[in-house]
Amino acid sequence: MAKIGVMSFAHMHALSYAACLNELPEAELRAVWDDDAARGQEQAAAFGTTFVADLDAFLALDLDGVIIASENVKHREMVERAAAAGKWILCEKPLAPTVEDCRAMVAACQTAGVGLGTAFPCRYIPSVMAVKDELDKGVYGEIYAASCTNNGQFPGGWFARQALSGGGATMDHTVHVADLLRWMLNREFTRVYCENGRLLRPGIDVDDVGSLHMEMEGGVIVSHIASWNRAASFPTWGDVTLELIGEKGVVSVDAFNQKLHVYDDAGMRAAWDYWGGNPDLGLVRGFVAAVDARREPDITGVDGMKAVEVTVAAYASAKSHTMVAIG
Amino acid sequence: MNLGVIGCNTMGLMHCQMAENAGLKVVACGDISRDNARKAARKFGAEAVGDCVALCNRDDVDVVAVCTPTPTHTEYIQAAAGAGKHVFCEKPLGRTLETIDEALAAVERAGVKLYVGHVVRFFQEFEAMKARIDAGKIGNVGFVKTYRGGIFPGGKLGWFSDWNMSGGVTLDTIVHDMDWLRYVFGDPERIFAQNLKRVFSERIDYALVTMRMKCGTICNIVGTWAHPSGFRVKVDICGERGMVTFDSSEAPVSAQLRLGAGSGPSTIVPASPVLVSPYQLEWEDFAGWLAGTRKPRVTPEDGRWAVRMALAALESAETGQPVEFN
Repeated sequence: MAKIGVMSFAHMHALSYAACLNELPEAELRAVWDDDAARGQEQAAAFGTTFVADLDAFLALDLDGVIIASENVKHREMVERAAAAGKWILCEKPLAPTVEDCRAMVAACQTAGVGLGTAFPCRYIPSVMAVKDELDKGVYGEIYAASCTNNGQFPGGWFARQALSGGGATMDHTVHVADLLRWMLNREFTRVYCENGRLLRPGIDVDDVGSLHMEMEGGVIVSHIASWNRAASFPTWGDVTLELIGEKGVVSVDAFNQKLHVYDDAGMRAAWDYWGGNPDLGLVRGFVAAVDARREPDITGVDGMKAVEVTVAAYASAKSHTMVAIG
Repeated sequence: MNLGVIGCNTMGLMHCQMAENAGLKVVACGDISRDNARKAARKFGAEAVGDCVALCNRDDVDVVAVCTPTPTHTEYIQAAAGAGKHVFCEKPLGRTLETIDEALAAVERAGVKLYVGHVVRFFQEFEAMKARIDAGKIGNVGFVKTYRGGIFPGGKLGWFSDWNMSGGVTLDTIVHDMDWLRYVFGDPERIFAQNLKRVFSERIDYALVTMRMKCGTICNIVGTWAHPSGFRVKVDICGERGMVTFDSSEAPVSAQLRLGAGSGPSTIVPASPVLVSPYQLEWEDFAGWLAGTRKPRVTPEDGRWAVRMALAALESAETGQPVEFN
């Protein structure tokens, strides 16, 4: 039984990770720490575990691993503290706002001899896994091009504050798809061009729309939309879509298009409710297995860093209006 | 008004019908293939002409419709304008800006009217989207994504797969979206593009474009001639206060023919019938301009701009860097 702690509920994904820990028989949600004590206490109570206010005391607990879901700019310090305490770590994406931070985090975990994983649950979406399997079998032959989106509703809060997020939609909604393409096509990104801006919510201090064009090894061309462009009245939170153009065919993935159309008179709202398999469960199960075996998680800190390299180069491109090299 | 059409393949025949619906009379059908010209002439009770330049000089022709492969558009515009005829030209207006400028100068000198077939400006769904944007229903628009295409087009002469002629999916297909986006959001500031140009044996093109408009709006345009079948258009328009989306796969009619035993499955063909074809609306607009009762929705300058954007996209795809519009 792997004993896991959650560090910070600043990112809403922590709610799902905690629920997964409670659901998995091989894991125990042992304790919660949060720099927002009220939030930590509330969530610890909600998930039936204990809240520890002091980080040193939390890290001194008999924990095998921790899941970190703080604001992006706090990831590095929390990872370094947890690594120094010998904990296996699953860190929310993006791994950090800068490549320098990512490198330091990877190095800290190597030095401490602990595993570092990046939370890229999209690799565990059933439709994505099915297509990845077909790609590996060569069903579509060589892949020449991809057109992708990761659209979402405006998350608000710290996501829209540069000082805590380190970047806007271009950062928040590029890393998932960048990771999927690296994994599915088995290639690295080489160059990126990006147009982005604060176009839909003038009051915030980060970008909310990014249109990226990437190249991968072997000349694969990629268009990707990273945005918080979904209306508040949109029937779901957003999407992850990929259209892959291959030698032997074309395949499109609309990863969350396993949905019910729900019409609710009480709320006067039409909604799409996803009924497909929960990708977070696969992610957390994979992390727990890595903790148990004391091995590197399947999706590593280096994977997290590779995705960040794309977003960092995208921001540089958006400033210079030139295509720039990645990494 | 009497119409002479040059190029009597699918588009030429369709334009003949739409022009007649709009009140013109087809009197001459020209095509370098005598057979094509004769078939079209028979259908519309017109005269078949093999020499398309001679068609422009006929006294009974008032308006010339140019429905030929892209690189020949401008020479026929020049021939028609030289003969003092008004011209309808299928999009794109030309293959190069140089030949377009010569044609526009000829039109100007002759004092005739030139209409470019950017028919998407008349598509009912695009009109409905524009109306909502213009009415401020979704507030200021910050982002638009368009998607257009399907199977690689199979022109009878195979000219679509000749890059120097067609300009691929960028100049032939998503030039529609570039024109419509400029129609709705104004001039572009900058364009970046990537494409596949795998014509040899595979016949695949796929274009990925981002256009930054002067107003700040980001437009992402995807064009495909990479699909094994079908045709699809999708639009996503995102504003400060809401969204408008369109997907042609959500059509009211979806037909599937039962083929003979052993023929394998047939494809599903969606259809979205409208009361009046947007091509007819386009001809009515042109006819109204000719009659002096309307200003044209598409100007010659709009036609030139559309080609300019598409050529800039092709240039960007070659150089790997954006192209600025001054």
